[in-house]
Amino acid sequence: MSMTPEKKEFAIFALVSMLAVLISGFMLFGAAGARIALGVFFLSLPFYLILDNFELSPGEKSVFSLLMGLTLFSSMVYLSGLVISFRISILLTFILLIIFNVIIKKLKLFNVKS
Amino acid sequence: MLPVYLLNTIMATFIIITVYFVLYSLYGFLPAILSSILLIFSPRDFMPYLWGQWPERFAYAFIPIILYCFYKYYLSYNETEKKGLYFYLTAIFLGIQLLIHPLVFFHSVVSLAVLYALLFLKFRKFAFNLKHIIAGFLIFAVLFLAFPIQTFNIFSTLGIDPGEKQKSDFELGRLFQWSLNPKDYAGSVPPSYFSFSEMHGLWTLPFLLAGIAILVIRRQERDLFMLAWLISLYLILHRDFIGKATFLHRSLSATAHIFAPLTAIGAVYIVTLFRIPDNTKKYVKYALAGVFIYFIFSVNFAYAAKLLNKDTYNDFFSTLNEPEYKAAQWVLENVPPAYNVSILGIPHADKFVSVTSKKIRWMGAASQRVNRFYYLLDDDQKDGYARNNYVMLDYTMVGPINDVELYNDMQQFEKEKLANRTLVYDNDNIKVYKP
Repeated sequence: MSMTPEKKEFAIFALVSMLAVLISGFMLFGAAGARIALGVFFLSLPFYLILDNFELSPGEKSVFSLLMGLTLFSSMVYLSGLVISFRISILLTFILLIIFNVIIKKLKLFNVKS
Repeated sequence: MLPVYLLNTIMATFIIITVYFVLYSLYGFLPAILSSILLIFSPRDFMPYLWGQWPERFAYAFIPIILYCFYKYYLSYNETEKKGLYFYLTAIFLGIQLLIHPLVFFHSVVSLAVLYALLFLKFRKFAFNLKHIIAGFLIFAVLFLAFPIQTFNIFSTLGIDPGEKQKSDFELGRLFQWSLNPKDYAGSVPPSYFSFSEMHGLWTLPFLLAGIAILVIRRQERDLFMLAWLISLYLILHRDFIGKATFLHRSLSATAHIFAPLTAIGAVYIVTLFRIPDNTKKYVKYALAGVFIYFIFSVNFAYAAKLLNKDTYNDFFSTLNEPEYKAAQWVLENVPPAYNVSILGIPHADKFVSVTSKKIRWMGAASQRVNRFYYLLDDDQKDGYARNNYVMLDYTMVGPINDVELYNDMQQFEKEKLANRTLVYDNDNIKVYKP
């Protein structure tokens, strides 16, 4: 899989930023801090993949998915957690969002990316 | 588990990310990085956590993003190729913002109206697509209805609250003031909260004015974006003229989000106002950026470090004393998460409550349980609430403030209502009873 120079540059930037957040999280709050940083990444990932189907810049995808992950993901978990256990609903929400992304990709549901 | 108040604090920092992103997209790296570094040390952003953990802090991070999405939609809008993606994103972020806090949602609505008006005046383009609007409205409605009890509650607060501080006198002079009168908010936030020099640093003023002047002179579309952001905050800060003064001072906390970028733009582009050779301009620009960073660290960073010293903000009425902190720790370890804690003893009279409510929140933060002033519950709630939850009697403050009446009330309450309850904690003048 080949990457455009813009995407490559962004991937390096994202990786370095994530490492910086992980390390500072660990230094400030120990293992819990590092887990939180990883958790934010985990919450945002499905939205990044979904937004990747649209004509958006890497920066837009990252910031939008970060905000959506922290809010929409946790809201979905909360709502489904009212009927099932929260741990299961975290996993279920993640899987459902990934499946939603695959469906968009396969069926070219929104057909907006050239 | 991450305590909710710590989560609020972490999320309150997201404004730095969104301001960086928007400034980078519109003006490039230098204004973006200068704005974000300045914003890191904005006391109006980090102090609310210590002043009482205002929950709307995170919502402010969405204002630049909502404006950005709508701005991109407007600019990409044309009649032949109708792509509504940015409009739908605007609707998604507006919906999310409403779920976080309605105060900031209304701020965004005003900002969008101002941005639309300014862009319309420049381009004379009427961006109105019924399909986009219906789809956007449906997206917003789904989010709105996700938590119906919470969101429909907004309508009950839209009317004028009888307890709300209303401005009855029309003060023309205030139209020419950015900030509010500190005396009107005594006990809630310190007077320094209303001071430009203490919140931003007086050194930013020339750059800020230069930034605004540059935007007004150039009026490119990105400049209109920034001006719309600024104008809408001005309108929001003067909404008391239409009788909406609730949390007015909280809106002031959004000032640095637009002032920091304008200050950075002023520093980076001030050189364009003068006739000097292009290559010299480049050196002057970077020299000014260096001066900018020097001032951030010598003034704003130094002030932030002074403020964040724990001796500066330790306060008898608003932060926990040692016995209270120990009791909160005990609650954290021993009270099941399903139970709330009613507290008696922390002064709840009108003259104290704006400050002591922060203590209640600190108690909530340390114990990770919902804490309520027992005396401020509705009369029909009191019995049931006290019966079904833990009750904490905090005698540590009544002595120092010599509140004999409150002390007697608590003693009577203990005899009458808690006689048959189990005392599970009794230490340093704090008692906790089990339901």
